[in-house]
This record gives sequence, structure tokens and C-alpha cells, in this order.
Amino acid sequence: MPSFFRNKRLILILVSIIFLVALIGFTIRDRENLTLPEQFLQDTIGWVQTAFHAPVQFVTGTFDNVSDIKNTYEQNKVLKQKLLEDRNLLEDIQLLRKENKELRSMLDKNESLGGYTPIQATVIARGPEERWYKQLTINRGEQHGVQKGMAVITGEGMIGKIQSTSQVTSTIQLLSGFGGSNLIHAKVVGDDNQYGLIEGGYDEEKKALLLKEIPYDAKIEKGQLVVSSGMGGVFPSGLEIGKVREVVIDEYGLTQLAYVEPAADFYEINHVSVVDRDMFSPELDEQPEDPNEEEEGQ
Amino acid sequence: MKRLLLPAILLIFLILEGTATDFLPKEWLLSDYFMIPHWVFVILVYIAIFYDFDSTYYCVFYGIIFGFLFDLLYTDILGVYMFTYGIAAYVIHGVKKLLHANMFVAILMSIVGVALADALIFFLYSSVQGFVMTWKTYALMSLIPTLLANLVFTLVLYPFLPPLLYKWSEEQLASQKAV
Repeated sequence: MPSFFRNKRLILILVSIIFLVALIGFTIRDRENLTLPEQFLQDTIGWVQTAFHAPVQFVTGTFDNVSDIKNTYEQNKVLKQKLLEDRNLLEDIQLLRKENKELRSMLDKNESLGGYTPIQATVIARGPEERWYKQLTINRGEQHGVQKGMAVITGEGMIGKIQSTSQVTSTIQLLSGFGGSNLIHAKVVGDDNQYGLIEGGYDEEKKALLLKEIPYDAKIEKGQLVVSSGMGGVFPSGLEIGKVREVVIDEYGLTQLAYVEPAADFYEINHVSVVDRDMFSPELDEQPEDPNEEEEGQ
Repeated sequence: MKRLLLPAILLIFLILEGTATDFLPKEWLLSDYFMIPHWVFVILVYIAIFYDFDSTYYCVFYGIIFGFLFDLLYTDILGVYMFTYGIAAYVIHGVKKLLHANMFVAILMSIVGVALADALIFFLYSSVQGFVMTWKTYALMSLIPTLLANLVFTLVLYPFLPPLLYKWSEEQLASQKAV
């Protein structure tokens, strides 16, 4: 019965295409949480990933170190120079910090939008599908207080935000892989701050993030610092995102658009901090019971 | 226990794919070329050629399972790799029946299979995500580097994997061959 087998094969393929479409439809929507089986699998494999990542990192790291040594002398010279400059800056910062603290205690306002608690984490895998998903897996999850939407930073600056969480692992979406639905409210630091939105992803050709919706009369110069504003409700303020590289009028001619060169290196990431902001966050935190605080939150 | 060795190998390479970018120099990563590791799929091609008999479909079976795991671990959308690896492994299994199992066939099949899988994945994602990349840029920037990278992987595995697979195939599947 060859025709019968042919039909069976055809039906099998059709059924699998329907199954594919159903699965894609189920997972593509903006989900709050992963389902339990997904979390279980991610955590179990995350455990194996941890075991494998360290040795691989060691081997590949050794090669990197060898090539680093070549540049050490030049770097050393530059860094020594920089260190002298920074020492003066450090004293200034300490003075300012102390003054800030005193003034705050005078005002009786201890919380600030910039305060946060870092959750230290190690990267255990990097998604190989670089074209569509620039994501990392880290070894901290809901058990450690990580929540969907939190900002993730390295020592150099912001690298992304939490995409999804399991019990003991979570996935980071890198800034370079941001789609249209992810926004960060950011400010350009200057004499008077200008605000805009990091929006619409990453310009692959220019290697820059797009800061949109800047008022058309705002004066922004090349090299100005871009940090998170904290007004988005989830991130604290003051996380460094990058530096302005170029400012142009946007496609409609009503606002300005700045190309922002990211501060952090998106490729060599091993240790990250997940940022849990101290100030009440309407999206992440439960509604507080204290009525006073509630007013503040809303 | 020996039956579990093959899935274990596949799982290890699936996990190693997550560290694949560490093996490449940073300058390559910063360039506009994309090299997607399809290591699991290359092993599936070897399984199709050296492990499976004409009547067994282990390569398709493993393709579906490990494609699903890949979706789960490294992407947001489930089903794309699962479907692609399953279909591509099935095609390779079908073509393999017409050819002898030797080195050139293995290399040819892995190139054809990876090209098929990668193009299908590109097609599915670009229709789902609405990603703007023309087929020409895709072929130049992504498909050719991916094929080269996976060809290297195929050649590296060639001395080790086929003899093992051949041995396991005789041990584990001999009874099914008789039927």
C-alpha cells in the first residue's frame, strides 16, 4: 500500500506544521512567567551549564590573556596617567557624597531614586543564535530575588535587562538585542538634563543604541553621558548606558535622535549584577500596606 | 546504559553551543558576520548516516528533542529549531538511503543539511519576527560563515564519531534490522 504510506507521511508533516504554529503562537505573546516545565528544564540544564562553563572559560581565557600581555606596556603608561587624575576626582566625590548625606538627613529623606541593591551573578551561557536573540543565561533566579524587567549591569555600565526568570537561573536580554517593545527612559547628563527614550533596538551598522524623542530644541553635544533616568518605574536612576556619538533630526523632523555608543562591552561578559532598586517600583513590588508609602508609590 | 551515551553526547554539545562565542576571537564577533553553531545538527547528520538503518528514525527523534531544548535554552520562541531539526534530519535520512556511507558523503550531507536547516530557521524567524534582512545579505553575511564554521566542526568530529556510531549501531539496533 504505497499510497497509504505516502498519505501518512503527508499527514504527519501537516500535523507537525500545525503543532509548530500553535507552539509559536503560545510562546510569542508577552508572557509574564515561564511555565513550570520550562522553568524546571532551564534550571536543570543550567546546573550542567555551570559545570561546563567554568573550564571552557578558563581555556579560552588563557588565550585571551596571552594576547593581552602584548599590550600591557602601553596600557600601563596610559593608566598611570589616568590614576593621578582620578585621585583628585575621588576626593571630590567623597566630599560631595558626605555633603549629600548630611543634606538628606536634614531633609529627612533617605531614599533616593538612585539607590539599589545589586544581586551578583555569573554568566553560564550565551545564546548561539546571535541573529535574533542576543541573550545570556545567569546563575541567579527568583530564589535570589531576581525579577523580570530588572536592569543588569557590569562594572562598565548597563548591558540589558532580565527577560525571563526560573527558580535558580534567568535570561538576560542584551541592549544590543532590544526589540521595539523594550524602552528605557534615559537622560543625557549636562547642565540641564535632557530626557529621551532608548527605543527601537540597536543600529547594527553604527554599533550604537538609538535615543529617541529628545526635544528638538535640546542642545546635545557629542560625548555627553547617557544614564537611566529612573522614571520608567523599574530601573534606578544613574545607571550608565553610554555616550552620545551623533545627534540628528529624526525622520519626522519633530524631535531629535541621538546615537549612543554603549559604555559596556557586550561580548566579554562574565560577571554581572542584577539591579534591584530600593525605591518602590510599581511594576515589580507588591503594593505596600503602609498607607503613607502607598501614596508615595502612586 | 550504553544507549544513554548518544543522548548524553548530544546534550553536552548542546550546552557547549552556549559557550561557542568564547571560542571565537572578539574581532570576529564585532564584525557583521554571523556564525551560528549547529553542532547538534552536525551530530544528527552523522547519526543519520552511520547509526540509523533505513527503517529506524533516531536522527529525527533526537532532532525533535534537542531542537526543542535549544529553543527553550537559547531563544524565546519554542518550536522553530524543533521543527527545523526534525524536518532537516528527516530529509538527510531520506537522501542517505541513496548513497554510500563514506567521508565525502558525510561532509556533503552535513553541508547540505546545515544549509537547509539554517535557511529554514532564517525563513521561519524572519516571518515570525519581521526582521529585515534580504536573502542576499543573509547568504553573504550569515549562511556562508555558518557553513564554513560547521564544516570545520564536521571535519574535527570525523575521526572520532563515525567508528563509535557504527559500533553502537551494530550493538543496539541489530535486532531491529532483522525485523
